[in-house]
Amino acid sequence: MLSKTNKSKEQKAAESDVEGFRKDLGPFVVAAETTRMPMLFTDARAPNQPLIFANDSFLTLVGYDREEVLGQRFDFLMVRPTDPHALAQVEAAFGGGSEGSFDIRCRRKDGPAFWAALFVSPIRDQAGDVVQYFASLVDLTEHKQEAERLRFLLDELNHRTQNMLANVQAITAQTLRGAADKQVVDAFEGRILALSKAHSLLGRKHWETVSLRDVIEQILRPFGLSDSRVARFSVEGDDVRLHPKAAMTLAMVFHELATNATNHGALSDRVTGKIAIAWQVQPTPQGDRMRLRWQESGGPPVTPPSRKGFGSRLIEGGLAQELHGEVRLDNDPAGVVCQIVMPVSRELGV
Amino acid sequence: MMVAWLLEDTLAELGCAVVGPAAGVKEALAMIDAKVIDVAVLDVNLNGEMSYPIADALVVRGVPFVFSTGYGKDRMPDGYQIFPVLQKPYHASELSDMLAKLLTPEKPPTALAIVS
Repeated sequence: MLSKTNKSKEQKAAESDVEGFRKDLGPFVVAAETTRMPMLFTDARAPNQPLIFANDSFLTLVGYDREEVLGQRFDFLMVRPTDPHALAQVEAAFGGGSEGSFDIRCRRKDGPAFWAALFVSPIRDQAGDVVQYFASLVDLTEHKQEAERLRFLLDELNHRTQNMLANVQAITAQTLRGAADKQVVDAFEGRILALSKAHSLLGRKHWETVSLRDVIEQILRPFGLSDSRVARFSVEGDDVRLHPKAAMTLAMVFHELATNATNHGALSDRVTGKIAIAWQVQPTPQGDRMRLRWQESGGPPVTPPSRKGFGSRLIEGGLAQELHGEVRLDNDPAGVVCQIVMPVSRELGV
Repeated sequence: MMVAWLLEDTLAELGCAVVGPAAGVKEALAMIDAKVIDVAVLDVNLNGEMSYPIADALVVRGVPFVFSTGYGKDRMPDGYQIFPVLQKPYHASELSDMLAKLLTPEKPPTALAIVS
């Protein structure tokens, strides 16, 4: 804690610094004072790095008078001056020898908090020593509000699309139950649900990327993936991030495979049937490729279907056409094997 | 409304006697007061109205319940994240698994005896 005499001494030192500053920089001070960009300088050599210059735009932004800010440390503006992460950023920027920029939450004198993009740059004397730091701020309030509004709109759009799909599902059930073959109704509902689950997962991740594991988890849960009583699935592989299109296509593919397994394959025999899903990502000259294997075992003997249904068209066509992948579906008597090779991009990996 | 019918039908097919559906907080609270309920499925967002007061009332009465929501669990207030969630959309089998869990507790019930 500074004593009263110390404080006034420090204040005097800061004020004389400002005077020196004005003499040294002349017309630049006038330019800096009148620009619309909030700016400040701190004294790098003083122990507390006090502000020695603040322009009018800065004072307007923070709502303080000039004499209230000069002599203060920059962190007096911070909403949470004890936040170790933010404090470390400030200390690194106002203590280092290189430029730094980051977003910081500040508080106006009259109370409201705001986000600002802070840019800090060291100023050196002729000997190369850092003598001052120059900082400029951009008020991000409007930018953040706009981002918030977009997020709200995207949420609303997701919500409405989900509602629409839920309504399609409900109408189908009300229209067809009792009037059509139960297997047909279940197949239709299952496909709409798979589409809807993939959509919902992507919506929760703001339509950026989702993990392959999450897709598998969402789609296979109705087929007993997380059933702790009977372990029917094994899922193994490094996490892979998927674009929305890849996530949608794979969701539908897993749904078709699992439905087929329920009707004819490993899941139709509830006690012994198992499904192993495993994948690796390998670098190739054309970029990274994922090799995924769906292997059923322990089910009844597999007989090849007499005709190609929508399911296998969706699996083969979806992967080849939508994802530039290759797929091989083998009706091996011991169990269905589906092998998928598709490009995944490295920069999406976590 | 159609989606509520679907839930009603699905619950009936699972062998439940369905009370409701209630479409708002006030209606639900009245129903909880008036009827005997073994288990509840609770949309987090009821046409813009949050269903947390209903969750509180169910907790007070010891009625197990599951939230259903299209958003992530992280969008729910801290105190409510401990309750089970059905991620919308869900399959009838996910609903029946969840109801089975809620109606058969894993541990025997603990009894609190306060005696003088």
